[in-house]
Amino acid sequence: MGFSKLTEIKVLLKQYFKDIISVEEDGEQRLIVDLEPKDIVSVVNNMKDFMGFEHLSMISCVDWPEENKFEVIYILTSYSKGNIVAMLKTKVDRNNPKLQSIISLWPQVVTYEIELNEMFGVFFEGNPRMGEEFIMEDWDDLPPMRRDFDTLEYANRTFKFRDERKDKIIVREFISEHYDEWRNK
Amino acid sequence: MKTTKLYLGPQHPGITGNMMIELDVEGNKIVKAKTHVGYLHRGFEKLMERRTYIQSFPIVCRICVPEPDVNENNYARAVEKLSGLEVPERAKWIRVMILEMARLQSHLLWMGGQSGSMGLYTMPQWTVGDRDYLLDRFEELTGGRIYHMYVWPGGVRKDLPPGFKTRMLDLMNYLESRMKDYTKLMFENAVFKKRAIGTGIITKETAIQSGVVGPVLRGTGIKHDVRIDEPYEVYNKLDFEIPVYEGGDIYSRALVRKAEFAQSISIIRQIMDKIPEGSVYNRIPNPFKWKIPKGYTYVKLESSRGEFGYFMASDGSEKLRRVNVRGPAYVHGISLLEKILPGSRLGDVSTILNSLGVCPPEMER
Repeated sequence: MGFSKLTEIKVLLKQYFKDIISVEEDGEQRLIVDLEPKDIVSVVNNMKDFMGFEHLSMISCVDWPEENKFEVIYILTSYSKGNIVAMLKTKVDRNNPKLQSIISLWPQVVTYEIELNEMFGVFFEGNPRMGEEFIMEDWDDLPPMRRDFDTLEYANRTFKFRDERKDKIIVREFISEHYDEWRNK
Repeated sequence: MKTTKLYLGPQHPGITGNMMIELDVEGNKIVKAKTHVGYLHRGFEKLMERRTYIQSFPIVCRICVPEPDVNENNYARAVEKLSGLEVPERAKWIRVMILEMARLQSHLLWMGGQSGSMGLYTMPQWTVGDRDYLLDRFEELTGGRIYHMYVWPGGVRKDLPPGFKTRMLDLMNYLESRMKDYTKLMFENAVFKKRAIGTGIITKETAIQSGVVGPVLRGTGIKHDVRIDEPYEVYNKLDFEIPVYEGGDIYSRALVRKAEFAQSISIIRQIMDKIPEGSVYNRIPNPFKWKIPKGYTYVKLESSRGEFGYFMASDGSEKLRRVNVRGPAYVHGISLLEKILPGSRLGDVSTILNSLGVCPPEMER
């Protein structure tokens, strides 16, 4: 009576899971939920089976090196309960980033988890294809989407100019040095 | 029968883009499929972390080639939501017009690709030709034909040029008249029907469970569209229908897209009729010193292939902390494809790829 569906879900979540850090409303159809890492599987499972969040929009990750944490983000969409979008956030330790996989709930989770493992190094326990290559072959450096991975330094270290290109660079420098001189002739 | 391993790609299989599918085939029948992506990775998400909010603008439209405007709009709305920037009413109407034009040109490209993959080569010639008339309007409006960089945070770059309305309505009449020819040549063609009906079937359960979106979802009989579910811009002021067809095969997806094409034409006519006067752009602060408060957002819209989402996190500085693109192809082209390809014939692979709207550039960003 008088409660919106958003408030209903908010109340249910707080009732079921005592360890939830915070549940906030963000507009009419949005929910932002902060969780402990250990709660992820049970909360996502509950939301899928009993609260109507049957669509997984995406799984993402944000690096916070200043807090020494990775923040893993799950975005779920409810089709049957008023098209609410819920953003679940959880922070894991950056030195030992481990989370339980939610692979049993949706088949496409595999792709997201492989990608996050490759790009950030977050390990999802229970995913049988963990460690498989998503887009990179034989990568033995730091996971590239981490904030402390220096792209420029990596490119300078790995890629060299071809020999014939060196002449062209000298020509370019020569032109730029003498450009004003020629123009004023 | 002997099982043979066959690598399809990484050159374009059909016209969808560079990806590779590793197939185990028995004669003509596919037993197992595995996708390999990574041939189009350009590191946009990482690159955008090094740039200011405005500097990232020329990058986002390049994330998906057939639909640049979808990315621009998503990025602009994400920045607006995080910074609290308002958009003038007229700019919202122009943005919807741009999105519907993008849908039309993407559907035209799809029609060509879909019939081309079945050997009906007249269609690609016609649709790519007609798409150019739409690109002409884009060029007149934005200066660019494919990548427009037109939708900014705070509005759009410029107002409609004089006489644009008449030319746009003429074009809509032309496209509507062309649709009769397309129906005869493609949707009622015996070759197309024979190959499309009953091929690449996705059931309702698989569709919901696998995270299928857009015309593919509506082709299985489930009515979901972001334009209705969570109306953005001014879609709640417009009158349109969401076409739904039962069946779940290539043919019902094609019919959904055909009906959407007519709906988009109707939406553009309504916009031309109702668009209010006013300014199109709210000034943003100095872009080099524009700090956006800390926050998270997920924005989404309905592209011609389904839900297209942007996740954005800002940390209070001039540069964004993280952006993540969720394209419909990320699900359609990897896990769903691996699931529905086994059992179908080798010749149907590129038709299935086309009907799902697989676009590799947005899988890897």
